[in-house]
Amino acid sequence: MLKLHFKTWLIAALLAPVSLNAQEILRINGSTTVNPVVTESAEILKKENGLTIHVDTQGGSSGGISALGDGRVDIAMSSRPLNPADQAKYPKVKFHPTKIGADAVAMIVSKDVWNGGIKALTRNQIKGIYEKKITNWQQVGGPNRRIAFFNKEPGRGTWEVFAKWLYGKIENVPPVAHPEVGANEEARNKVSTSHGAISQLSAAWADGKTVFALAIQSDDGKIIPPTAEHIAKGDYPMSRSLWLITNGPPTGNAKTLIDFVISERTHDIIHKHGYLTLADLK
Amino acid sequence: MRNPFKHLMHTATALSAASVFTLIIAVAYLIISRGNHAITWEFLTAESSEAGASGGIRWQILGTLILIVTSAIVAIPFATALALLHSFFLKPRSLSRRTLGFTLQLFNAVPSIIFGILGLIIFTRLLDWGKSWLAGGILLGIMIIPTIAIMLAHRIAALPRAQIESATGLGLRRGQIIRSVIMPQSVAALLSGTLLGLARAAGETAPILFVATIFSGATMPAGIKDQPVLALPYHIFVLAQDSFQDSARANLWGSALVLVAIVTLLSALAIPLRHKLHNAADHA
Amino acid sequence: MSTTATWQSRRPPDLTTCLVWSGALAFALAMLIALGLWIAQASPAISEYGQTLVTGQQWFYRHQLFGAAGMIYGSIVVSLLAFLLATPLAFGTAIYLSEYLPAPARPWAKTAVEFLAAIPSVVYGLLGVILLRNWMADFLSPFDPLSGDMLATAAVLLAVMILPTVTTFAEDSLRTVPAAQRLAARALALNKSQTIRRIVLPQAWPGMVGAALLGIGRALGETIAVFLVIGRLDNQFPDHLFNPSLLIEPGQTLTSKRGGPETHIPMGAPLHWGAILSLGLILLIVSALFVITGILLRRLQKTRS
Repeated sequence: MLKLHFKTWLIAALLAPVSLNAQEILRINGSTTVNPVVTESAEILKKENGLTIHVDTQGGSSGGISALGDGRVDIAMSSRPLNPADQAKYPKVKFHPTKIGADAVAMIVSKDVWNGGIKALTRNQIKGIYEKKITNWQQVGGPNRRIAFFNKEPGRGTWEVFAKWLYGKIENVPPVAHPEVGANEEARNKVSTSHGAISQLSAAWADGKTVFALAIQSDDGKIIPPTAEHIAKGDYPMSRSLWLITNGPPTGNAKTLIDFVISERTHDIIHKHGYLTLADLK
Repeated sequence: MRNPFKHLMHTATALSAASVFTLIIAVAYLIISRGNHAITWEFLTAESSEAGASGGIRWQILGTLILIVTSAIVAIPFATALALLHSFFLKPRSLSRRTLGFTLQLFNAVPSIIFGILGLIIFTRLLDWGKSWLAGGILLGIMIIPTIAIMLAHRIAALPRAQIESATGLGLRRGQIIRSVIMPQSVAALLSGTLLGLARAAGETAPILFVATIFSGATMPAGIKDQPVLALPYHIFVLAQDSFQDSARANLWGSALVLVAIVTLLSALAIPLRHKLHNAADHA
Repeated sequence: MSTTATWQSRRPPDLTTCLVWSGALAFALAMLIALGLWIAQASPAISEYGQTLVTGQQWFYRHQLFGAAGMIYGSIVVSLLAFLLATPLAFGTAIYLSEYLPAPARPWAKTAVEFLAAIPSVVYGLLGVILLRNWMADFLSPFDPLSGDMLATAAVLLAVMILPTVTTFAEDSLRTVPAAQRLAARALALNKSQTIRRIVLPQAWPGMVGAALLGIGRALGETIAVFLVIGRLDNQFPDHLFNPSLLIEPGQTLTSKRGGPETHIPMGAPLHWGAILSLGLILLIVSALFVITGILLRRLQKTRS
């Protein structure tokens, strides 16, 4: 009895939207860094224009770019620039990136590490940790605790920015295995609930209460924290732009969304999440 | 000399049972206590906002319902066919019947991630459907076919042979026997098998993760291709990786409680039906 | 039975018979096609890498290395540990429910156990990530684990998940032993414990072992809950076979790998995609071994009684 009602209800419900409008759905996938801005923008546009926008973050930046290349989505969110491998994989696709803001990748650590005295690391130290040559915080002036490195999954924009800074090209990354985390949220969650933990994370996501963003110590001894000022000036090494990528220049609903995101109306949203707007970068 | 062992076994097994039941109560307590205060009418009927950190889970509940109803529509015909084949068409104790029964049980134990990847292979690569609620419904349906078929097959096999023989003696053809003798007495088994299958389907994440669900934006699907839905299991899966903001955490446990409630409700609806089956079997 | 066959077979098959056979055959055909597609898409990797897929200890997809030994080790260790934790409790509970618990309480007890079984794996994953993970890190802190994400955490979570399955199936096996035998034993002045040990268990053991094997099969196939708590660290393989230190380290199983990003990335790369699919084949084969043996043992007991 119950099921019968469901069936008729389902069929009616399916027919209704089809008959009402054949509106295109805007499909978006990609980076968890860019996601909060796009999702909240989508919610606003839905209320104003009735646009239906589907957002997902499976596979991060690379997942979004793959989905765009395969034609499964209309916009890819990415926290890393396109690289030649992307274009090589999809020779027929004209990737058109639109910059929407910037933030930085920071090395975040758990409370016990921060309170144990680690406030900055050099590039070589970070490399040594990544390559498992440095395995205890004591070796870099911290407490006696194993280093729990939560590596961002391959394919995450945050990871690629990190890898390029350490090794120049992704291809040069040595084969080392670390425990993996996926989205920004998971990285933050795992670091905040573990001891001796470190991970790569969008700098804006470090709240300074449960996870802490380290500064980078440059070769000449300068300590550069990942603050808005240093990112805008460009002297924090792992600064990066945030992108919305389309196949060819954006048209139709995609253009509506992208124009909205780069307009002044999203400044509050972008700042709320700790990122820099295009205006901040000038 | 006998006495120490006598009590030992009693005590040991009683302790095991006690631990297990303590565990059950603990798990139920954890889920209910943490999810309880998030459950309001507002929560159940409003949309998600702020990427799940606030708002409600309306479309996630609806999406889950769409998926399981579709799976039932897909599964029931095939499960019925397989059950009839096993218990009515094939001779008892024949090799083909035992093999079919074995295969169904084997199928029931296939890991659900296999169905997820199968969906990728067929619906995404082969058919190029994009993300589709129908793909999810079909995959879930295939997954629960053995559950329904096994329960129905048992019931049909337990029907008294005398009934079938007299029906044949009266000149009824196979189709008529199925319609007038077998199916009317098997409705309880079919329903309870379906309810159990739906309970399982409602909670599964792996089959729908790749081909049917997205995290935000979808409402009612308006077609087949590129029409994903939201779903409770996937929503919980994504939010489980972000339990940072307090409001997101409250929503997360609320969603988990709602999902457990749906699954428990579906299973509970099957209980009186299964009682009926047991009693019928005893009288047969 | 046979009377239907000779009389019916002279008439043309009716619509219902056609429908039943075509439905069943369509399903079988669909499954075979699915399997065929799977193997076909996995074959580039199988022909390229052959047995190193199974024996290789390095999985680095960027460097075209696809060795799944670490994942196979993870899957087996986690499932075996779950089995060791869950089975004694499950068997003890099953014996208690079947032999000691008064009959009126039994349906309630069974319902309670089924409640545990009905809880979706994602909710177990949630409990694992938010609660169990931290408890395990604290509990095992003398051994200095890297974090709460470890093989042991996944094993404990899986143990809870397979507990109801094993308990229910084991209890079924015990109930299959006819009540008359228990009565006869009483008449011979055997007490309950002896009845269980000498009459019931010897007959029920195939089914009970089958129940345990089915539990292992279920543990091997679990993805979501394991994915959230196991740490997803590739290439963990012990130096000596019985080195238990890896239990408190993060690891990877055949299932947790496929819940991750590598299922999305290799859409255009046949070797990588083939390797991911091969993991599925390995999983199917390994879990099928346990499940098939489990089903056969349970059938063995049923035909004996």
